[in-house]
Formats: sequence, C-alpha cells, structure tokens
Amino acid sequence: MNGGRELHLVGLSHKSAPVAVREKVALSGDDLKGALAALSDRPGVGEVMVVSTCNRVECYVYGESLEEARHFFLARTGEAEEHLYERSGREAVRHLFRVAASLDSMVVGEPQILGQVKEAYGLAASVQTAGAFVSRLCNRAFATAKRVRSETEIARGAGSISQVAVELVEKIFGNLKGRAVLLVGVGKMGALSAKALRDLGADRILVTNRSPERSRALAAEIGAVAEPWEGLTSLLVLADVVIVSTGAPSYVITRELVAQAMKARRGRSVCFIDLAVPRNVDPACGEQDNVYAYDIDDLQKVVSQTHAARAEEAIRAEAIVEAEVMAFALERETRAALPVLAELRRKAEQIARAEAERTLAQVGAKLDEKGRRSVEAMAQAIVNKLLHGPTARLKEAAASGDSDLPGAAAELFGVGEAEAPPARGRSRDAPDADIHTEPHR
Amino acid sequence: MSLLVLRFAALFYAGAVTAYVLHFARPRHAALATVGQWLLGFAFVVQAIAIGLGCKEYGGAEFFGLRGGLVFMTWLAAGASLVVQRLYRIPAIGAFVTPLILVVLLPTLFLVKPDFPEVLPEAVRRPMLTIHIVTALLGVALFAIASLVAVMYLLQEREVKGKRFGALFSRLPSLAALDQLNQRLVRFGFVVYTVALLTGSGMAKVVWKSAWQWDPQQVSSLVIWMLYGVMVQLRHTGWHGRRFALLTIVAFGLVVGSMVTLNVLPEGMTRHGGDFSGERK
Repeated sequence: MNGGRELHLVGLSHKSAPVAVREKVALSGDDLKGALAALSDRPGVGEVMVVSTCNRVECYVYGESLEEARHFFLARTGEAEEHLYERSGREAVRHLFRVAASLDSMVVGEPQILGQVKEAYGLAASVQTAGAFVSRLCNRAFATAKRVRSETEIARGAGSISQVAVELVEKIFGNLKGRAVLLVGVGKMGALSAKALRDLGADRILVTNRSPERSRALAAEIGAVAEPWEGLTSLLVLADVVIVSTGAPSYVITRELVAQAMKARRGRSVCFIDLAVPRNVDPACGEQDNVYAYDIDDLQKVVSQTHAARAEEAIRAEAIVEAEVMAFALERETRAALPVLAELRRKAEQIARAEAERTLAQVGAKLDEKGRRSVEAMAQAIVNKLLHGPTARLKEAAASGDSDLPGAAAELFGVGEAEAPPARGRSRDAPDADIHTEPHR
Repeated sequence: MSLLVLRFAALFYAGAVTAYVLHFARPRHAALATVGQWLLGFAFVVQAIAIGLGCKEYGGAEFFGLRGGLVFMTWLAAGASLVVQRLYRIPAIGAFVTPLILVVLLPTLFLVKPDFPEVLPEAVRRPMLTIHIVTALLGVALFAIASLVAVMYLLQEREVKGKRFGALFSRLPSLAALDQLNQRLVRFGFVVYTVALLTGSGMAKVVWKSAWQWDPQQVSSLVIWMLYGVMVQLRHTGWHGRRFALLTIVAFGLVVGSMVTLNVLPEGMTRHGGDFSGERK
C-alpha cells in the first residue's frame, strides 16, 4: 500500500546491552548528523532518525527493510550483534511511543527521555533525513507522551534521591527564594541535590568541608561560596537547608549543635538531609520543633515507593499507547486516499475559479462588490456540495482498508494517475510531501 | 421568604463542598477547584440576598439571636475564604473551610423559632452596634479559618516529620505557606476583634452607663482578645510552626467554648443576654 515502505527499528538499550556496548555505538552532534546522512543515502532507505542517549541507541528507518539499520550498528561494533532488538511496522511504532512516554526507561516515568526524543527528531529534521512520515510519527509520539503524562500518574512522585530531597524541601519551605542552602562535605550526590535546589529558587549556596581546597573546587564548579569549616556553627544559623555528605565516621551535626543554632535562629525551620553512610546527622535532631532531619534510607524509601506506584500506573499508560498506535495506523491508511482527494479538489476549484472569472468578465460591470463576491461564493459552494459525498466515502474507504475505491475515483475523475510521483528525498521538507511520496497504487 | 433563599444558598454550599472535596481527593482534576470556587461565590451572593431579605422581615433584630448570628458569621466566613483563595490560590483550604460553613449553617435552616426580641430598644439602634456585630462575627470567622489552616499545618507536619509522604503530603500545601497564612489570619482577626471589643464597650457605656461590668460575655471576650494579642506578640519571639498552630487551635476552642457556655447559661447570668446584643458570638 505504501510502496513496501514501513517503519523499521533496530536498537539496543539498558535492557539489552551493557553500558560497555552502549557507549561504543552511542553518537552525538556532528557524528550523528554524518551517520544520518550516510544512512539515508543507502538504497531502500526513505527517512532516518536515530535516538542516542546514555541508556539507548535506536535507529528508526522508514524504508523497505531493516537491514540498513542493522548495518548501522554492526559497522560500529561487531559486539552489538547479540544485543540488538528489531521491530517492524506497528511494533516499531509502538516501541517509539513507549520510549517517548518513558515506559521503556530505566526509571519509568522519568521526564528527560521525551526531550531526548524531541532532540533526535530535531537533529534528523535539520539534516533532512526526517521527512513527512517521521514528522507525523514523532508528533504522534510526543502527543502520546503528553497524554500519558497528564492522564496517568506515571510521572508523579520523586524518582531519584535528589528529586525526593527537592520535594521535601518544597513541602517545608514552599519555594527557596531568599533562603540559603549549605553543603557540608563535597559528596557528589550532595552537589547534585544542591543544583536541584537552586532550580527551586535558592539564591545562596554555601559549601564547607574539612579540607578547604576541595570545598573551594566544588564551590567554583557549582557556583557556590566556600566557607571555612570552623564556622560551621554560625553557618547553621544562616542556612535553611543543610545537605550533609562527608566521609566522617560519626555525627558531624549533633543534637546540641542544632539546639544551639535553633536558639539563634529564633525558631526558623531548618531541614537536614543526610546523604552520608555512616550517618553524619544525629537522627535525634529531628525531634526538636521546626527541625526536619532525613537520612538516605528515608529518601530511598520514597524512591522505591514511587517506583512501585509507577509500575501500577504503567498499565494504564500502556493502554493509552496502544490506542495511539491504532489511531496512528488508521490515520496513515486514511492518508493513502488523500492524494486523490487533494488532486480532485484542486482541479474542481480551478474549474470553479475559471468559470467565475469568465462570468464576471461578462456581467461583472453590472454588479457591485457584493454581487461579485456572491458569484464567487456560489461557484465555491457548488464545488463543496458536489465533493462532499465523494470526500466522505473516500475517507471511509481508506479507513476501512478498501483500496479499490480511491483508484476508481482517480480514474473516474481523471486525476492522480496522470502525475508520476516525483523523486524521493528533495521534497521532504514540504509539509504535504507525503501526498506525493505515498501515492496510492 | 428569607429562609427559602437561605436554603437555596445552602444547596450551593453543598455543591461547593462536593467540588472541593472531590478536588482534594483527585487533585489532577484542577477544574474541580474552579467549580468549587464559583459555587462558593454563588452561595455567598445568594446568602447575601437571604440576609438582606431577613433584615427587611425582622428589621435587623434577627442578629440578636444565635440563629441570625450564625447565619451572618457563615456568610462572613464564606467571603473571607473567597478572598483568601483569591490571594493565596490554595484550593485545599476550600476542602476544609466549606464543610465547616455548611455544618454551622445547617441548623439555621430548620431552627425557625425566633430567638430574638421582637422590638429593639431605641437605645441600641446605633451604627456603633452594627460595626460591633459585624466585626465580632468577622473576627470569629477569621479565627475559625485560622484554626482550620492550623489543622492543615499539623496534618502536613505529621506527614513531613513522620516521613510518611502519603496522600496528604502531596495534597496539602507547604508548611511555610500554611504557617504564614495562619499568622496573617490571626493578625488580621486580632485587629478586627479589637474593633469589636472597643465598639462593644462603647455600647456598654451607652446602655449601662459603664464600659466595664464584669459581665461574663465581656470577661470572656477580653480573655480571648488577650490570648490572640499574646499570640501576635509571640510570633516575634520565634513562635513558629507547630506550637503556633496548636495555640491557634486552642484559642479557637476557647472561642467556641465561651460561645456555647454563654448561650447555655440561664438568662439572668449574662447581664446583657437579652439586654442589648444577645448572643453575639
């Protein structure tokens, strides 16, 4: 029905391949652009898009077979062979929709993947390897992801430690405008959380560490201010959120220290997030009024809860994906009837315009502006009324998979068949290019 | 007639309660909160009409009885809650305030026996009395909303501190927002209540020729006023969060307690029971 062209997918992901293999095939930037261009020049390949993230590399080809896509991986490393998965047709469409909706992600529901797929599409579009088909496919995938996000609770809750930390801080302080965040220790996770808190509006981030060089280095890296370790007590009076991740074997933040700071703070709330193992914050600190203390286990518990809840929501999300896959297939079949329809309408309107002009040339002088417009409107109305029935029936026929009627219509009205489909490729940018590249046979 | 319109208003309140509670249960449906707010707005307008009609029917004497007082207070509470939602956009408050309004309003829909003097003595017909009644009732309404916000605070604090992160955790606003709103309501309520106290003693002076009479209502009002005054002061010395929320609830408990006690006490014990302003609060 489409000249044998189908969507094919070959790829590997965190589910099928270890990171050692993934990093060998992963591509980005100009390398990826080059690879896309090379792929699209291969025989039998119509349109190409490659999604490449740290968790997956997937090559989508709209063409005659998936061999070229396979070749894309094998040319990069022979090791890929045993880790590849392959999908074609509706299966491939479903896979992309699931990926975009974050159902195939390592952390189901994580929000980054949609942006990454959008980037992949943007890149393919910029080098013109993504044409009308991939464009429609991706738009549907984005719409699906949006539906899943808004109609299910798959993205609800916090999926990572730093997200949990942010959510907690948000429930205590609202936004962090005008509040200070203190990093005690230079752990990586602490720095990550501090960055996330900055997005919540924290404008002051302070870093302190036993060795000043390392706190200065981290401060420079994340745009914070390094403070001397000796001033910890006064820093506790200043900071509203304290993230602790030192390598110390015992409590760095003790009950007495906090009690003292709270007095000076005049009761203003403070939140301790202890990311260290063994713990650096005495859990008894949290017993005081307006002091909130969490350790890594508390945060991890929330993360696991979120994952469990998301797994349940995923079932509802899959149903949405399924419905969208069906809708996409249906739309594609309906589209097959469109070239005939478009051509028919174009021809009819041309005739109507010509006839109206002829009439107006003869009697136009006797008519005012309003009269002239009614003549034009009448011609247009006749076209609309005449074509209404055929249009509806052609769309129906296409939707139900009947491929005879569009052909018959083309022959009957003398449209469509006369025009040979133009060469592939160069017309890819035109929004309606697919009307020509998917001619009905 | 006014009763019929009031019952109509109650229907709108019931609708608002439903919408807000449903929104609280299913926060994803944001439209429900908007529906709730509109219904609350309608209820407010319809109740205003009912109150206007009531004034025409009873010449204002209605508000000297418990029933009239409750009707007027729920109306002020609805108005205050509309303003709060407009300013703070915390729809969860609706799920707490509207049910209380409805519960307080319900008995007034069926208690139709007049509990107020038929003719008001000439001495009390003064604008000062109107101000007194409005501010006293508004003050109590604000304290009521503040105490509900405090309840929300304590619920959320239990989630946050107890590391539960359950359904309430995601539905209730942040502790900081609740604490701040609570404080502002208490502060504003205190100012309004101060006006009520001043106009009240002004009226006492007019009617009894003396501003202070050791009247039980006067004494309890003064105690309540001082308590809220202390709360406003404590705020500056570091009373935040949990302790402040608890205090707000205790203080409002005292307000309710004094209202109940004063209305249950035999007539003779409240010097100005039927004398001039009846059961104001």
